[in-house]
Amino acid sequence: MKLLGRLILRPLARDKARTLLTILAVALGVAVVVAIDLAGDAATGSFRSSMETLSGKTDLEILANGGIDEKWIGVLDSLPVNATFAPIVEAQGIVDGVGVPIYGVDFVANAHGGMPDGPAGATISKALAERLHLTPPAALVVKIGGRERRIDIGRAVDAASAEFLAVDIADAQQLLARYGKLDRIDVTVAPSENFARVEKAVRAALPAGYLIEKPGVRNEENQRMVRAFRWNLRVLGYISLVVGAFLIYNTIAVSVVRRRAEIGTLRAVGASRGTVFGLFLMEALILGAAGSVAGVFLGRVLAAGVVGLIAQTVNALYISSRPTPVELTAGEAWTGLLTGMTVALVSAWKPSREAIEVPPTEAMSRGAHEHRAVLRWRRSLAWAAIFAAVAGAMALAPAWNGYPVGGYISALLAIAAMAFASPAVVLAVDRITRGITRRRAESLLAGRSLTASLARTSVVVSALATAIAMMASVGIMVASFRETVALWLDVQLRADLYVRAAVRSGAGEYPPMDAHVPALVAAIPGVAAVDDFRAAEIHYSGERATLGAGNMDIVRRFGRLRFLSGEDRDAILRSLTGHHRAVVSEPFALKHKIHAGDRLRVPVGVQMVELTVAGIYYDYSSSQGYVIVDRSTMLKYLPDLPVTNAAVYLAPGTDAESVRREIQLQAATYGVAVARNSELRRASIEIFDRTFAITWALEAVAILVAMLGAANSLLALVLDRRRELGLVRFLGGSGRQVRGMILTEAAFLGLLAAILGVVLGLALSLLLIYVVNRQSFGWTIQFHLPGGLLAAAVVSVWMVTVLAGLYPARVAARMSPIEAIQEE
Amino acid sequence: MPVSRLELRGVCKTYHNGSQPAEVLHDITLSPASGAVTAIVGRSGCGKTTLLHLAGAMDFPSLGEVRIDGRATNALSDGELTALRRTRIGFVFQFFQLLPTLSAVENVELPLLLARALGARERALERLRWVGLEEKADSLPYQLSGGQMQRVAIARGLVHSPDILIADEPTGNLDTASGDQVLALLRAAAVEFGATVLMATHSAEAAAIADVRVHLRDGRIQSIS
Repeated sequence: MKLLGRLILRPLARDKARTLLTILAVALGVAVVVAIDLAGDAATGSFRSSMETLSGKTDLEILANGGIDEKWIGVLDSLPVNATFAPIVEAQGIVDGVGVPIYGVDFVANAHGGMPDGPAGATISKALAERLHLTPPAALVVKIGGRERRIDIGRAVDAASAEFLAVDIADAQQLLARYGKLDRIDVTVAPSENFARVEKAVRAALPAGYLIEKPGVRNEENQRMVRAFRWNLRVLGYISLVVGAFLIYNTIAVSVVRRRAEIGTLRAVGASRGTVFGLFLMEALILGAAGSVAGVFLGRVLAAGVVGLIAQTVNALYISSRPTPVELTAGEAWTGLLTGMTVALVSAWKPSREAIEVPPTEAMSRGAHEHRAVLRWRRSLAWAAIFAAVAGAMALAPAWNGYPVGGYISALLAIAAMAFASPAVVLAVDRITRGITRRRAESLLAGRSLTASLARTSVVVSALATAIAMMASVGIMVASFRETVALWLDVQLRADLYVRAAVRSGAGEYPPMDAHVPALVAAIPGVAAVDDFRAAEIHYSGERATLGAGNMDIVRRFGRLRFLSGEDRDAILRSLTGHHRAVVSEPFALKHKIHAGDRLRVPVGVQMVELTVAGIYYDYSSSQGYVIVDRSTMLKYLPDLPVTNAAVYLAPGTDAESVRREIQLQAATYGVAVARNSELRRASIEIFDRTFAITWALEAVAILVAMLGAANSLLALVLDRRRELGLVRFLGGSGRQVRGMILTEAAFLGLLAAILGVVLGLALSLLLIYVVNRQSFGWTIQFHLPGGLLAAAVVSVWMVTVLAGLYPARVAARMSPIEAIQEE
Repeated sequence: MPVSRLELRGVCKTYHNGSQPAEVLHDITLSPASGAVTAIVGRSGCGKTTLLHLAGAMDFPSLGEVRIDGRATNALSDGELTALRRTRIGFVFQFFQLLPTLSAVENVELPLLLARALGARERALERLRWVGLEEKADSLPYQLSGGQMQRVAIARGLVHSPDILIADEPTGNLDTASGDQVLALLRAAAVEFGATVLMATHSAEAAAIADVRVHLRDGRIQSIS
């Protein structure tokens, strides 16, 4: 313990600025990982409907696309089993501009369950009542399907933070115009009853197309649906930790070099290699633990800010979720702590080994250490080539269990290849720029100092380059994706106007439009064609997808659906009408390994229907995927399936704005929203931009960590070169020139990092686009190089690096040259 | 005797180590002559190095003043002091203090680069030639012997043709033969360039080449011979 205090703790306390910078870097790395996890949990942890929370234990759920005919309640009730069957209708209403779930439940049947018995009228959750300042009994105006309805509220129930309205099922069916239809049936098995027997009896009684599952399956399914998204976020978060790892490595390496005399003395007086090794690992562990503890708390704070961003993306891409409060569990706190400490230990391993490899008689000088680094640059370059080759091979590996594991490993190996190539690049850049740098004292000394501290310079350059690469690669990926989506929107959105129910809805929700609307719109002068689209949720191979139906004849004549290369668009669309044929979206095809000509069995209403895949089309609106059939096929099985939206094609020369006004006028009573092509396109791009807000936030943290690293490292260089800096003052250098030297070093570091970062960034962007995104989400993205954005990223990181040099430069300029020169 | 460019008048230097003041130099008055070598002789810790730092305008007296060309150093701004070091003062150290990452000629060139002087490389090569090490111009310090390193350091100290050359134990780390070579160069600097050479040493051989020897003891001038 005494040794630890003298050799490790005391120097850490003496170098407060550097110690704090290292701890802060680890803290930020850990904070990002913790925040992403916590915020991810909070943003996606609320897929369970608030109704489930209220109604208590349910053993099975029955679901069907197109709704469940309520006659099946009678069939189920007559089964010779000891179980109750609760019908449920779900919808979304709008109160004060905010979406509120409305549940239609059987109040009579539920009187013995979780739902309180009481006077007639709807039930409101206390959280919603409080927000609306409403005390039952009271009347509430709710917008349902675009129309305002008055609901009498009879009572309030406590359901924690959940906001909802519950009305009697008959009232709900009337309000929603879903006569005789249910959205779900909840099954509760009596404790004395055999669960398997009930399940078997229910399955036997119901049509094949109905889905019977245990509660929680849906939640798990939702979680599974967003897991690729969450994994990718997590991996992005870990990059900050990788940047932090480089810094720990650097701190311990500096620590070893600085204490070379102490190491020599310790070994000479009998300390074993193990003791010395342990001491340096302990230093890393102390820094790691301090950083991790701070990181866990910081992560909890960051999570609260990030949860909204993640929820936005989940809502836009997957399914409606309501963020729950961020909760830091002991498990998550420990995970954060262990992650930070493990990263610290792993990063410190190599420099700690170096501390014990030197015999006690040979003082481990910075020169010797750095000299070895210079001698080994060829070997390092060879390793870089090997890592790059293996990275290339791993990129070709198929997805493992739905995860792009090969892509992740490839990315890590690419980072390693860059780190191993950095000594050679530092030396090469120094060689190339010598003619220029030797003209001024500041640049001459800065350039030489960096090559003289090659091992350390390489690590800092690698850390910075990783941050730049992350920024560049995500920038390229997002820009490519945005460009692809914009092009796709150009092709996809061919109609002049789009009509839908004026209801807020998330992905995976299909609010119905009044059945009269399409015909009404078609009759308006100037309208050439109306393609009414119907959508229903289906389950295919345990994954959720959308079954859609449109008028394929109109799609063929007016639309521009793009199919995978080589597939004949016209022939495919023609073949759909009147046949059990479908086209599927690219993500659906990739996820389920489906090719043109394959056969699918999908539940449509009460039946399992076999469809032949006629073609695969490009789609970027959902990673879950679409199966599209002609409307005639869908209506055969689900004649009551309501229209969810309509694409309106106008005759040439017709003014879109006047037709829009006409539709709004004529369909005012049906509560529809009409969007022009350009508005929808703009809205889609806005949604796209919102979904990537979180990635930019993550990048900002990685850059911040890298900046701390650059400051830390430059400070170490300043402290190590006190004598040289003092000498410069003796030789006529001004304080300003000393400051200039350090800032020039920072600029050099930034330049080197920019070179490596851009190269690595390009490689990582290819991985993100062609491997990670494709395997995670099933999207084919066209590569697009955003030159301006890339240049801005590089310049901004370069400036950040120079800024990071300000404090070390100030320290250098203020040093006493006499004290510095007398140190030797 | 030529006119003195450097004057120390009643110079005292006190350091405060905690609450205890420690007087390192006491009432030093000295006018080293131009074109001559003045040796400050005394044991380790007698204040030689402190005196050199004061004379080189790297530090300031607690009492009294150091005047260079008639101007007191403690009245000069930081910029003026830097300019003074760039043009008027050269330093030679006991441990050579060459920058290990720079070649011999780059080390010599450094003061000129810091002063943004023109023709730095040519002037550095000329000084290297003067100390007899032109052929070692591209060698790195670790490729040179101790004597060679100190000769490079002298070339660096003289590259900007300073009026005052301050040498702190220039032979302290050298064998006799190398030491003699270095002493001969210092002497030549005084004679050929007319520089005021102020050298601290505790070696009798080094002191022997000086024109004037100032004996210091416990921070006071004991005798001048």
